[in-house]
Amino acid sequence: MDLFINLAINGIATGMLIFLIACGLTLIFGLMDVLNFAHGGIFAWGAFVGVWGYSVTQNFLISIVLAVIAGLLIGLITEYLIIRPVYGNHIQQILITLGFMLVLSEFIKVVFGPNILAAQKPPFLQDYWLVGDVTIIKYRAFTIVVGFIIFVAIMAVLKYTKIGLIVRAGVMDKEMIQALGVNIRLVFIGVFMVGSALAALGGALFAPSSGVAYAEMGMEFGIFAFIVVIIGGMGSVPGSLIAALLVGLSNVFMAYYVPSLAMAVTMILMFLVLIFRPEGLFKVSGVSNK
Amino acid sequence: MIKTLQKSTWVYLFTGLMLVLLPFFKDERWFLFLMIQIFVFGIFAMSYDLLLGYTGIVSFGHAMFFGVGAYSVAITLDRFEPSFMSLLLGIVIAMAVGGLIAFIAGILTLRLKSHYYAMLTLALANLFLVLAEKWRSLTKGNDGFTFQIPELPGGLEDHRNMVIYLFCLVSMVVIFFGLKRLTESPLGKILVAIRENEQRVVSLGYKIMPYKVIISVISGVVASFAGVLYAISIRFVDTSVFAIDMTLDALLMTIIGGVGTLVGPIIGAGIIEFAHHYLSELSDVHWIFERWIILFGILYILVVIFFPSGIVGTINHKLATRKQRKKEDEQSDKLAS
Repeated sequence: MDLFINLAINGIATGMLIFLIACGLTLIFGLMDVLNFAHGGIFAWGAFVGVWGYSVTQNFLISIVLAVIAGLLIGLITEYLIIRPVYGNHIQQILITLGFMLVLSEFIKVVFGPNILAAQKPPFLQDYWLVGDVTIIKYRAFTIVVGFIIFVAIMAVLKYTKIGLIVRAGVMDKEMIQALGVNIRLVFIGVFMVGSALAALGGALFAPSSGVAYAEMGMEFGIFAFIVVIIGGMGSVPGSLIAALLVGLSNVFMAYYVPSLAMAVTMILMFLVLIFRPEGLFKVSGVSNK
Repeated sequence: MIKTLQKSTWVYLFTGLMLVLLPFFKDERWFLFLMIQIFVFGIFAMSYDLLLGYTGIVSFGHAMFFGVGAYSVAITLDRFEPSFMSLLLGIVIAMAVGGLIAFIAGILTLRLKSHYYAMLTLALANLFLVLAEKWRSLTKGNDGFTFQIPELPGGLEDHRNMVIYLFCLVSMVVIFFGLKRLTESPLGKILVAIRENEQRVVSLGYKIMPYKVIISVISGVVASFAGVLYAISIRFVDTSVFAIDMTLDALLMTIIGGVGTLVGPIIGAGIIEFAHHYLSELSDVHWIFERWIILFGILYILVVIFFPSGIVGTINHKLATRKQRKKEDEQSDKLAS
């Protein structure tokens, strides 16, 4: 039982981190019809900036804030330089964002050196709680809480604020929103920056929990995020949460019991969704997958 | 028969003949090896361009076909005795497995937006990479393994590199003309039509899915064959054949050389391979050359934005406009007189 709960907590924590990347990806796709293959690169940048910030300031909060700022900036640069010239051309978007992904991860090696960085947990999250005979690692609980808060915050913004209304309407029908006098370009930039910041936050939270930050993690988690977005339904935030938890849990359990099949089970999940429900678990009206 | 050949065909045949004669003048090992790499990656990039340039499908997992080809032939030659029969068997297995994977990936995602095929192939390629690392009894994991290739009869054994060179060259030329024929056939025309406007092709009464699946299978089979040649030429295989860098190389070669042409990928392969060779020598001069992926990445982004049709495409376009202008000039001259 102890083991089961531990694995479950671990899985949920991993799922929350994947959710942080995937929700930006899914929002950007739903609103702008852009699939950003560079998203994982921003995740890796978040991790490196977070680790660097913590080693310089020794303050966890500041390191997180630095990572988020880095995410916002990279998001702005990406939108401005990479996405803007190729709006409306899917193939060029896919090609160019993959190229930028590689530039981003190589640039990490230029700035932070080619080696793997060791990441430390802040002291107040280092040990664990004992509840009965179950040990709960503090940092994982912290990750779950942060992920959940972010999810609730996104849903609240989307549901109850004017900006959220515009974004939701934009996902359904861009032309109509423009016709109503909304500057959709600004909304695009905003959503892109927030999505990137969330990915960077995910990276900054991930590095301490795994203990390392390496440049290739962007690609690795980027792939997870794509799978999650496919399973959850492109454009759906709750869908990406459910799918991320599903992927996180199945991955952790399989990694424990049948380690060699850990990656395969995620793929099988995706295959099943693609065969039986290609629009994903949660279909969003207005977003077509054809 | 000879008269009906296009002018460009003569140019290609002549270039091929020159390449056949080349190793008799310059037979240093590194040079032959570099040329073999160009032929292998030329084939690989052509198969990529069938999807990207002719049909408008983006695959980010093309390395998996390449890797499956390389591992199939390597494992067959390693397990059985290195004879020509097992080489042939390896090639058949490689192409069958490559085609099967392409078929499965195709029927799953080609009815959806182009994103899906890109994502699925990326994830699949990653799965194969993990598989090759973990299934140590078959692949020997990260270390990879060397294997014997069949011995050539008589005096040819002393010129083995030359024979491999010629074999790769002939394969490339044959595949080039085969694919050229394919793209000029009615099938090829429909593929281009799908790239240009899917809805219109549907409303003309064509089913799109079968065409897309067929071309993805052909592309997968050709890519596996490139993997076979690669493994034979270096007599060694490791997990790097499944790495994203392989796909990226094919992508760069196709984009820089020219999408939607078959010569483009080969020219691209030549440029990229020579650049690899000389840039890695330059790494002593300045550290930036060690990180040449950045240079290539930036170059690639610039090409996608500013020259989306690549070298060959841009030249073709220039030639076409010049011809057009000449025609117009002649017409206006006629009108004036």
